Amino acid sequence: MTQDVIKVTINNKDIQVPKGARLIEVCRDSGFDIPSFCYYSDLALQASCRMCLVRIEKMPKLQTSCTITCTDGMVVTTQSEEIEKAQRAMVEFLLANHPLDCPVCDRGGECELQEMAFDWGGLEERFTEKKNYYAERYLSPMVANDPQRCILCKRCTRVCDEWMGEDAIEAGGRGANTVIGTYGGWLDCSQCGNCIEVCPTGTLLDATYRHQARPWELAQTVSTCTYCSDGCQMSLGARGGELMRVVARDRYVNGLNGEFLCIKGRFGHPFVNHEARIRTPMIRYKKGGKLIPATWDDAIRHVASKLDSIANKHGRNSIGIVGSPRLTNEALYLLKKFATDLIGTDNYAVTDSVNLTPFFANLGAPLATHRDIRYAKTIVLIGGEPEELQPLTGKQIRQAVRNGGARLIIFNSVPIRLREQASQFIHIRPGAEEAAVLALAGGATDSLVSRKMGIETAELEKVRGTINETEGDLIIMFDGSLSAAAQSALAQLSYLLRADNRRVLFHPLPLYNNSIGALDMGMTNGAIDVTQMLDAAGRGIRAVCVAGSFLPEQLRGREESLAKLDFLMVQELFETDTTSFADVVLPAASFAEIDGTFTNNDGFVQRVRQSIPPVNQSKADWMITDQLARELGVEFGFGMSASAVFNEIAMQVPGYAGLRYPLLKDESKPVQVKHDIAVQRDISNELETVRTAVEQMDESPEKHNDTPDVGHELFKIRTLTDKVAQFHLLAAGNPRPESLNVSPLYQITLSDDLRAEAVVAGD
Amino acid sequence: MHIEAIGCEPLQLRRVHLENSRTLEVYRRNGGYEAIKKVLDSMSPDDVINDVKKSALRGRGGAGFPTGLKWSFVPKDSPKPKYVVCNADESEPGTFKDRYLMERDPHMLIEGMLIAAYALGAKTNYIYTRGEYRYLIDIMDQALAEARAAGLLGEKILGTDFSCEIYTHTGAGAYICGEETALLSSLEGMRGHPRMKPPFPAVSGLYACPTVVNNVETLTAVPDIIKMGGEAYQKLGTEKSGGTKVWSVSGHVNRPGVYELPMGYDDMEKFIMEDCGGIANGRQLKAVIPGGSSVYIMRAEAVIGKDVRMDYEGLVAGGSSVGSGGFIVMDDTVDIFESTKNLTEFYKHESCGWCTPCREGTDWLVKIFKRIDNGGGRADDAQLMLDLCDNIEGKSFCPLGDAAAWPIQSAVKRFPEDFAKHLVGSRKE
Ligand SMILES: Cc1cc2nc3c(=O)[nH]c(=O)nc-3n(C[C@H](O)[C@H](O)[C@H](O)COP(=O)(O)O)c2cc1C
Ligand code: SF4
Ligand code: SF4
Ligand code: FES
Repeated sequence: MTQDVIKVTINNKDIQVPKGARLIEVCRDSGFDIPSFCYYSDLALQASCRMCLVRIEKMPKLQTSCTITCTDGMVVTTQSEEIEKAQRAMVEFLLANHPLDCPVCDRGGECELQEMAFDWGGLEERFTEKKNYYAERYLSPMVANDPQRCILCKRCTRVCDEWMGEDAIEAGGRGANTVIGTYGGWLDCSQCGNCIEVCPTGTLLDATYRHQARPWELAQTVSTCTYCSDGCQMSLGARGGELMRVVARDRYVNGLNGEFLCIKGRFGHPFVNHEARIRTPMIRYKKGGKLIPATWDDAIRHVASKLDSIANKHGRNSIGIVGSPRLTNEALYLLKKFATDLIGTDNYAVTDSVNLTPFFANLGAPLATHRDIRYAKTIVLIGGEPEELQPLTGKQIRQAVRNGGARLIIFNSVPIRLREQASQFIHIRPGAEEAAVLALAGGATDSLVSRKMGIETAELEKVRGTINETEGDLIIMFDGSLSAAAQSALAQLSYLLRADNRRVLFHPLPLYNNSIGALDMGMTNGAIDVTQMLDAAGRGIRAVCVAGSFLPEQLRGREESLAKLDFLMVQELFETDTTSFADVVLPAASFAEIDGTFTNNDGFVQRVRQSIPPVNQSKADWMITDQLARELGVEFGFGMSASAVFNEIAMQVPGYAGLRYPLLKDESKPVQVKHDIAVQRDISNELETVRTAVEQMDESPEKHNDTPDVGHELFKIRTLTDKVAQFHLLAAGNPRPESLNVSPLYQITLSDDLRAEAVVAGD
Repeated sequence: MHIEAIGCEPLQLRRVHLENSRTLEVYRRNGGYEAIKKVLDSMSPDDVINDVKKSALRGRGGAGFPTGLKWSFVPKDSPKPKYVVCNADESEPGTFKDRYLMERDPHMLIEGMLIAAYALGAKTNYIYTRGEYRYLIDIMDQALAEARAAGLLGEKILGTDFSCEIYTHTGAGAYICGEETALLSSLEGMRGHPRMKPPFPAVSGLYACPTVVNNVETLTAVPDIIKMGGEAYQKLGTEKSGGTKVWSVSGHVNRPGVYELPMGYDDMEKFIMEDCGGIANGRQLKAVIPGGSSVYIMRAEAVIGKDVRMDYEGLVAGGSSVGSGGFIVMDDTVDIFESTKNLTEFYKHESCGWCTPCREGTDWLVKIFKRIDNGGGRADDAQLMLDLCDNIEGKSFCPLGDAAAWPIQSAVKRFPEDFAKHLVGSRKE
């Protein structure tokens, strides 16, 4: 695509720019600094701070460069006495009613207003009057607010609306009395905290980090989030071995998520230094006895001898090796190697809730990146609820529609919030997602699939119309609960739906930060899956080593399974339902304590970096496996180096060929794994399978008519979020405390009742 | 209140003195709804726009933009609906002509809007009045109901294929909602903040559709333009400002009221001293704010013996502007420091808060005025005020910031003595 190029002259320098370029960006790209507050890339223009003023020839007054689209021959001056006076005046105005309390402000040291005041502020304060006063307050358990520091750039209200679709904060009052606030006085939203992030001042503050540290005391480490499969890049701020906060502020980190994070990424980290972390290795010498603290050497020796004797007695396949999809690629790779090369068992698995192997085996087109999503022309979303489960994807979809004019087609049995953005929301029966795939693949008559989905056939014609009109990217997203046959058929849809001017991309929506990595590392192709392993406990399976814990839904109805094992070893951060049956518990290090990589739902391999030393006596999961191997007589030879493990991954896993940690250094240029693209093939067998299943589908289930509450997944109390007091308040319905001036944590007791309520609400 | 047309036949004020002037019957008996009939019988939309162009009618809301030109900016081929919105927010201090016209002759506005709607292809139209004018809504609604019942509004107007509706809407009491884009935001149910221009409302206005926003008096001029023809209307005024203009006269004159003058009326001094009955209580003229609070204040010396012509060019030459035609006359009892403080408090109160210079600047200026008023004046305060005004003027998001700066700038410069006496050595007991 050729783009028209035009010429603009900035400070006497001729510059070629693409037609339609925004002047402020052009100036900055050309090395001319333009101060700004309200301008924020890809948000609606605000033009209210008036910092970015420039002089443009033939225009009567100074112009805001953030609103100007370059035209051919435009002559611009960015530096002059007149401009500098105006810019200094704006800073003077902004500071007039500002409390100037930087020494007690959490933002002091990384505040854009403070920096601007250094560059553009006056030496002398001319404002001698009384300042307008507002009390500090809490807007929610996560968001604290000091209205006096606000410069009304409204980045906060815009991200709340445009990124999150929440519109939970807005300005109230008028003129100099304008105050950013909430509807009804308490912030009832997904608590993403993006308003805090984008706030250039200390007005909106992380309530969980209030007065905890000054920014310059924190060591910043760029890493990858440990929650969902979107793989947001974040900066971990640590002091003295303690993880104090997580931000995505662009002064520290510039990843695929920009400054976006969700509640879990931003606020879900206090588990890291939580007092409930397992402190030492522990051995249960007698079934039913207590876990007794032990040294690492003793514990490893104990595990090794148990595995040895069980393998000798019951054969190698009696040992099951299980990993969590939260582990790093390095840990998962080594687990698989440990299982197959050392133990020699076929029985290894991941504790993921879905398995995307059939999808990847038939993958007909590359994975869409989050950037691709933002610029997609049409997005088809089958099942899932990204705004709760993959929030960055949710945000990208919303922006694609709102800022990019993309069309969004949703097949869902639940009227999820994203339907507000949909050009077509197809309300299907629960469990009818397979029928949607069948319809797109043309594997059955419209009347059959429509009947089963409970929709009009015209809906499908409309979908086809939209797809046929699409010029640009068509992105197909799906949550992983599709059957193997449907996954295979879906993965080949790219061949059916592509056209000369239309590219088809896929965006799977698995649940965990390294679901895709676990698959790439081969952990999903063991002989049995996790539930089969649990069902075989005490029979075919006599010993299990698990890095992580089984999911509650996997243990449900199998409560006795773990007790039937001769031996259970668990690597964990916390005591869980799984550790309560363990014969040996080994303290594992969290993502903040280790080096490694995660592979996200874009197929990006991104770095996890050590921010703090391992808490207590914990060790990285891969090192535990390595040590156990050594005890069993095999030296893997990685020493202490995660990068050495990764180098071997690069040799053994085709999609990762040639990769090295240094190539993954720049989070702003993430590297995509080369997943094999399968050639087009005959999928009639798979379609036949899906059709048979669809034909047998029950037509009675009622559709869900209620839009689920914001946070019904995000606020769920799980092992990690359980360790964050604020999540309990949210899961209990985010009650508004009596006083807004004091943290709700001090006012609302997390009584056993409330805790119980929280757990129920979150389950 | 005195009502008079001077130097011309009354056009806008033709019916206001009649008994039951607001009824359809009186309106019709006095030439009402003849223009829309003429339009529907014999004119194409382009004919109407051309006639309005020829009339040299300029917007009466304050900015004075040529109305015909504005109408011609509406993209004809746009598939989107188009809207005509009447700006009846009339919040400019010293301005009360729109209120008077609507109260006494509501059908004139309806007819003007029908013609505009026909010319622009608008089916749905709104009259947006300030919150304080709620009583006018009742009058307008009644007139609209009468018109509807008489087949002048709604489906198939006067039996032709032309159909259109007009709805009334009140604001919630914000001056900024008189600014056309803030008005549209408010009409859409959002906070009353101005929007970025471009795009101009003519291209993307109400609900992002082509929209013409016109002042009441602009629209009420349209029926006469159609009836007498654009050229004849223009000839009533000057080449660049056609027709007549309604002025709201308040302050220290013997006959405050609503006056209709031809554009280019030759002498402001005569207007004050003779037409308005001269300065009340035998006092001396001290100052005039001729176009509503947002224009430069004039000293008596700039009026007396200066032959200031009352039209756009004449008033600019005289050191001020037509603005909204809110003509405020002040005698020698007025302390210009006090009157300027009062106006600044108005702008501070009405600043919408969107942009830095206006929001913070007006707040700061009021604080300075108050400090001085409390005896804390300093020798350099006048200079500080001028500097702050300079930092607001031309840098704010919308013209309200400029409008806040101009009265202060002109007052400080033109009445330095009134400021000086408040500054040093005047500490109040
Ligand atoms: C702060 C501000 C207040 C305004 N208030 C009014 C008003 O009350 N009535 C009005 O007709 N125009 C007002 N205007 C002018 C409108 O923005 C707009 O120019 C006008 O409605 C256009 O109509 P016209 O061309 O018929 O004058 C105001 C402008 C500004 C900047
Ligand atoms: S709270 Fe922060 S982001 Fe929001 S308007 Fe104020 S300064 Fe801007
Ligand atoms: S100048 Fe700025 S603050 Fe003042 S009214 Fe206009 S937009 Fe609002
Ligand atoms: S950055 Fe342009 S006005 Fe704020």
